[in-house]
Amino acid sequence: MAIIDQLQKISDSVWELPASYKQGMRVPARIIATEKLVREMDEAVYEQISNVATLPGITRYALCMSDGHSGYGFPIGGVAAMDVHEGGVISPGGIGFDINCGMRLVVTNLTVDDVRPHLHQIVDRLYERVPAGVGSHGFLKLSHQDFRDLVEQGARWCVERGYGWKDDLEVTEENGCIAGADASKISERAVDRGYNQVGTLGSGNHYLEVQVARPEDVRDKQLAERFGITIPNQVVVMFHCGSRGFGHQVATDYLQTFLKVMEPKYGIKILDRELACAPFESPEGRDYFTAMKCGLNMSFANRQVILHRIREVFSEAFGRSAEDLGMQMIYDVAHNTAKLERHIVDGKEKRLLVHRKGATRAFGPGHDEVAARYREIGQPVIIGGSMETGSYLLAGTASGAETFFSTAHGSGRTMSRTKARKQWHGKQLQRDLEARGIYVRSTSWAGLAEEAGPAYKDIDEVIAATELAGISKPVARFTPIGNVKG
Amino acid sequence: MPQQDGLKTRRLKAVEFNERGFEMGSRTPITLINGPLGSGKTTLLRHILAVRPAKIAIVMNEFGEIAIDTKVIEGKNVRIAELGGGCVCCSLLGEFEVAVTEIIKKVAPEIIVIETTGLAEPEALVFNIQEALPECRLDAVISVIDADMLVRFPELGHTTRLQIEGADILLLNKIDLVDAKQIEPLESKLRKINPSAAIIRTERCRIDPELLFGIPQSREKKIAPPQHEHQPEFESFTFTSDNLFSRDCFEHFADTLPANVIRAKGFVRFPDSVHLFNFVAGRWELEPFEADRTELVFIGKNIAAEKSTIVHALDECLAEK
Repeated sequence: MAIIDQLQKISDSVWELPASYKQGMRVPARIIATEKLVREMDEAVYEQISNVATLPGITRYALCMSDGHSGYGFPIGGVAAMDVHEGGVISPGGIGFDINCGMRLVVTNLTVDDVRPHLHQIVDRLYERVPAGVGSHGFLKLSHQDFRDLVEQGARWCVERGYGWKDDLEVTEENGCIAGADASKISERAVDRGYNQVGTLGSGNHYLEVQVARPEDVRDKQLAERFGITIPNQVVVMFHCGSRGFGHQVATDYLQTFLKVMEPKYGIKILDRELACAPFESPEGRDYFTAMKCGLNMSFANRQVILHRIREVFSEAFGRSAEDLGMQMIYDVAHNTAKLERHIVDGKEKRLLVHRKGATRAFGPGHDEVAARYREIGQPVIIGGSMETGSYLLAGTASGAETFFSTAHGSGRTMSRTKARKQWHGKQLQRDLEARGIYVRSTSWAGLAEEAGPAYKDIDEVIAATELAGISKPVARFTPIGNVKG
Repeated sequence: MPQQDGLKTRRLKAVEFNERGFEMGSRTPITLINGPLGSGKTTLLRHILAVRPAKIAIVMNEFGEIAIDTKVIEGKNVRIAELGGGCVCCSLLGEFEVAVTEIIKKVAPEIIVIETTGLAEPEALVFNIQEALPECRLDAVISVIDADMLVRFPELGHTTRLQIEGADILLLNKIDLVDAKQIEPLESKLRKINPSAAIIRTERCRIDPELLFGIPQSREKKIAPPQHEHQPEFESFTFTSDNLFSRDCFEHFADTLPANVIRAKGFVRFPDSVHLFNFVAGRWELEPFEADRTELVFIGKNIAAEKSTIVHALDECLAEK
């Protein structure tokens, strides 16, 4: 029987694989998606998310968001909350190698008409100042010791040295610095791979985009205004990147450690080796959590330096200061993390380690971890679509408890990178996009082809599913006009 | 409009290489080694280095396990450790493409072997080599798969599956750790995912490097003495000729080589050009080269029996004078 026939429809946006689906499942697996998305989903996602449901300590459900697709161990779009007092585990495959891969959104007080005449210059300069590509170096020259300080202090380290504004920290998740990061838990190799990459985009699906909020795409005018989207056809800048080679190395180091101790020392048996894990409350689990926090901070710092470059470029292009151009940051949110959070489960408050891999935290109004500026209205959620289609700003909702206040993170691939490269040609795609008013710069034609719009799920459908499920509320949709692709 | 500087730079680089004699045909072959964490990639590298079939540059994430107490040169994009006999071990500090270019410039290796991290999906790297490194040629993708792991973890991980799918040669390693009866089903499992790859059973990755690199040598011999009673014997033979061959016929010949030929390599002279022929488990390519005569080596499982058929097929391909 095809897996899809074993899915039980809970509602129009929630589908369940019961715990009886596979031996060893401790909880059911739930997929947040419309029927269209469920039918299009790659079957490996269902196997992967049901494997996640077998992990020790998993609470309520193993969840997969509407943009889910298969990844290392967990599907991308996977959410798993582990009860750390009940032997709950921490798993690098549930966080992703690009630790704290995330999104940052900054507004301007410019309209599309103001920006159009300068667009090529802006995008070309962004392409120069924000290095992209596989192993690209940043312009920030750090010693190994500087880098160790940076991973303990995050974006704060950058702001203290003039890369950004104090206000930026207030609207960054964890104020740009997660407490408890300790550089003694990271390897020398990890430092080697990261110290010259601060301020760089990286490759793959990472990008930096100049976008427009068209009046007809503002879905919730009141919320949009509270977030800073106040003028028709306002230009914003959105970018997507993470902790580069550093995060990868941290994940690799600890996966190797976990593979050694998981079964012999802790007696944990798993179905798929890519789900290697250790109890959170174990020396190995704690060390990884601490090292992963360094990855979180590296990424907050990386995005902080990139924001600084964006402000410089706009300021030069318009001959006005970034302050004068109103370049306030809306928010910075991670979508590859594991965080200790308090959640109410069956009427009881529990301390859970929530893995979000390709899933965005989306706390609703009133939650004390939401930045003071937004506490009344809910946490901003930034979801990037493909470079052709558009991206979204949403807000967390009070009804998100079912997914531990988590929502989607992007559109999610519909086909492999190889398939996309065979189907489209980067150079032609660039010309087509240019004809449609989107100016793209990329380090690799083939890499550009990977990001063709049809290689991704329909972003509007992904967002609709999260709204239907009550886990996030769309505020505005942005249309790209310029793109730097990593 | 200063568009696509990246590409321009690359084209310039290719010209520079041409001027220095790195023309098409003397592109440095790259062998990609991948496989899940702990499958034996480092063991394979150690084994290759112990045999040292050529001047090899190994590119790996961490070379501490291989190059201990050796002289280390800090380059701009790479860190290079000398291993003696012209072999080096490198770890990348910068962008992959520039690092490989730096290695070629600094040490001019005959073969580059790249060990990916256990988490890598090979396809992106394969594309990078094929598209962004005109001075290199992708020789073969080798995936090391741990037989014991296949038995213990019934569900193949997503990345492991991609590593199996992307391979030309699959080393089914650590067969000494599993019951002999389990090996056949494991091979079937691999073959189902990748029907065209050659599967070679190994213990501690002991494999004749000729199979991995297909280094043409004009001698006939049996390769890799059996390390396990179940391991088939690998053999090689060489074909040489002063005649010219028809290209169309040769291409058909390459397409129809028997499945037990794992590697074939060498030079072939067509009426208007000479080419380097590189064949790995069904996938092959020809690239312009300089050579005085046709010389091809065939390596595979029990191929002595096929020798007369292969030689006959080649004789049929002689170009009309």
